[in-house]
Amino acid sequence: MSQPKQLQPIPSLKNPQYALGYWQKVTLSIWLIALIILPFADIEIVNFDPFLELTRMANGLVTPDFFATEYLWQAIMQTVNFAIIGVCLGLVLGAPLALIYQHPLISSCCAFLRAIHEIFWALLFLQVFGLSPLTGILAISIPFAATFARVFHDIINQSSDSPLESIDSRADMISRFTYGKIAQVMPQLMSYTRYRFECALRSSAVLGFIGMPTLGFYMETAFRQGNYSEGAALLMIFIALIGTIRYWCPPKLLGVYLVIACVTLIDIPHIDSSLLVRFITHDILPPAIANAATLAEVQWSSLTAWFSALFLEQAVPGAIATITLALLALAATHFISLSAHMMASKHLWPAPLTWLGRFSLLIGRSVPEYILAFIFLMLLGPSMLPAIIALAIHNGCVIAYLVVKQSNAIAPQEMQISRLNQFNYHIMPTIYPSMMALMFYRFEIIVRETAVFGILGIMTLGFYIDSNFSEIRYSNALILIICTALLNVAIDIISRRLLKFEQTSQASC
Amino acid sequence: MKTLTKLFALCALTLSLFVGANASAATFTFTAIPDADESQLRTRFEQVALYLSKQLGVEVKYVPVKSYSAAVTAFRNNQVQLAWFGGLSGVQARRLVPGSQAIAQGYEDQFFKSYFIAHYSTGLALSERFPDITDKTFTFGSKGSTSGRLMPQYYIEQHLKQKPQQAFKRVGFSGDHNRTIVQVQSGTYQVGAVNYKVWESALAAGKIDTNKVKVIWQSPTYPDYQWTIRADVEANFGAGFTDKVQAALLNMNSPELLKSFPRSAFVKAQNKDFQPVEDVAKQIGLID
Repeated sequence: MSQPKQLQPIPSLKNPQYALGYWQKVTLSIWLIALIILPFADIEIVNFDPFLELTRMANGLVTPDFFATEYLWQAIMQTVNFAIIGVCLGLVLGAPLALIYQHPLISSCCAFLRAIHEIFWALLFLQVFGLSPLTGILAISIPFAATFARVFHDIINQSSDSPLESIDSRADMISRFTYGKIAQVMPQLMSYTRYRFECALRSSAVLGFIGMPTLGFYMETAFRQGNYSEGAALLMIFIALIGTIRYWCPPKLLGVYLVIACVTLIDIPHIDSSLLVRFITHDILPPAIANAATLAEVQWSSLTAWFSALFLEQAVPGAIATITLALLALAATHFISLSAHMMASKHLWPAPLTWLGRFSLLIGRSVPEYILAFIFLMLLGPSMLPAIIALAIHNGCVIAYLVVKQSNAIAPQEMQISRLNQFNYHIMPTIYPSMMALMFYRFEIIVRETAVFGILGIMTLGFYIDSNFSEIRYSNALILIICTALLNVAIDIISRRLLKFEQTSQASC
Repeated sequence: MKTLTKLFALCALTLSLFVGANASAATFTFTAIPDADESQLRTRFEQVALYLSKQLGVEVKYVPVKSYSAAVTAFRNNQVQLAWFGGLSGVQARRLVPGSQAIAQGYEDQFFKSYFIAHYSTGLALSERFPDITDKTFTFGSKGSTSGRLMPQYYIEQHLKQKPQQAFKRVGFSGDHNRTIVQVQSGTYQVGAVNYKVWESALAAGKIDTNKVKVIWQSPTYPDYQWTIRADVEANFGAGFTDKVQAALLNMNSPELLKSFPRSAFVKAQNKDFQPVEDVAKQIGLID
């Protein structure tokens, strides 16, 4: 558990007069927290003979069957369509919000919307729009809009004010803002949008797990039913799709793609507005209220009994499991980020080896956590461990991918020291703060993503939400979704208070 | 949140103006999730749609769904008018859509059963009596499954006098009958509950190593899968449409089509056949 320490210079150990540095304290506390909660977490390894199934999986991986999936081309198209329309709608909704994001009401609303996983948005919209593309598009664009609002706001806030001084003071506000502020951060905004597009592709695939006609639909079926050749082929297609975004979707063509996406989107079926009315006025109300004719008839005692049972039996244990899983995953993510960054850094290895490293980063960040957890579940048994590992691999690779981009841009001074020393004493200290900042941004996402494992059977809040949807108890599901969102917002506030580091906006998805 | 919901309502209403026109009312839509093989779902069930379309003289469309709850939602929202439901999802659907009827079930579904299967390391063997599985690790199938969840849970509570969460060391939901077999076979869980037909077809296909996993108990029989149709099809597709659909289903005897479900034939069914399922679901608290 002490790996991260080896990678950093630790002056304090040699010189007692040196206090621990800020980042060392933060790093140590992450690991300390993880060690404290480890005994309470369910990480038992149970397995007798996973090898029969693992052999089948490996067999599938080396004999991918690209023709096993029906309507494959359509699935790929819809995956891309949902992502493109989702991101564009997210931009349209989110960019204006960035301008008023400083308002506490706006920022907390956005934090709330962002905290709800795409899968839950989709499960909610599914009740109203059914399996219409609208369900998938809204499920992507709402949380994405809230994220765009925050990150764009941060980026604009950090931009320099000096260009404003060179603009004639008589110029109108819009011109001053456009040329003085937006113009200088435009490349950042563009590159962040491009990055979010990659995230949207992943989200779009994940929505397939609950029935949207994207690649995930077939991927989940293939893995669940043990058709590993088909599953492997779909994974390869998906990884290739993500790895080659910059070739097939240059920013200039985004508009063209948007038009194509709108044209080729599957038909939006007729929307019945009465379903929406029924959903809001009946389905999501607590049974005691929904069944009563008038307000006077509402049995308040049964309402409180309903709420306290839901809260104590589902929300509290779910929240505890969610936090435990997230904190352990955070420590594991730290470890994976450090090692994965090392693996792909050009400062340590000759070029061909770094390509290999970057290729593994691509695989690590493209394979949906659900699939990773699925594989580790076979290997390690049904505890929290597969989820921790899946979260760590996925998030660690995303962080390492972003950090490698930054660290490869560093041009170290020519010094007479070995590559390893240069990496440890020059590159790492330079890059570490931004790696940690990224990791804390990712923490919010780790908490959200624990939801997905609920659907695999790990008893996080997502598990209870999924159960309530399958028992057609939408009111319970909604309360638990709100609990999840509030938990996320609380974590966000606490972590911001505790770690008062400057807001770098290398945000993540 | 309020304004947001209003905004959605507004968006939805505006959109419905644009798309309302091309939604054809004359398409009869159905959905089905087979209990075993879910690959090539659309390709296979579009054959069924073609058959129904010929028999009924209306356009018939198949919509693939991922889960029983999604099927229930689609049925409730009139996005499908006919559905091949499991026992429990059928009960849920008929409660939500008053007047809807179960019209046919698979021949095998009249006396369906679940198997409890165990990993060899538990030392459990096939017995008539309910096996002693307290404090083992246990996996159900999917949460909404009748043969993989509802009935097994009922018999567990009846015999062990405890909720599964208390009776077992660990309770899981594999999500799928094939998964349950794989997970018990590899020892991930010690005991599991599985749909007997899925078990038998996996056994016949040589996917099961009987040295590693075996059946230790079989449940009493209960009714399971059935076709359920909405009441308002009579208004939209003409009087007597329900009977026509029923006749078309009962006459479906091409092995090719029946293989998709997979059932040997369809026989008549009615709502009250599924009363036992509803009672059990209420008893274990899955429905209110």
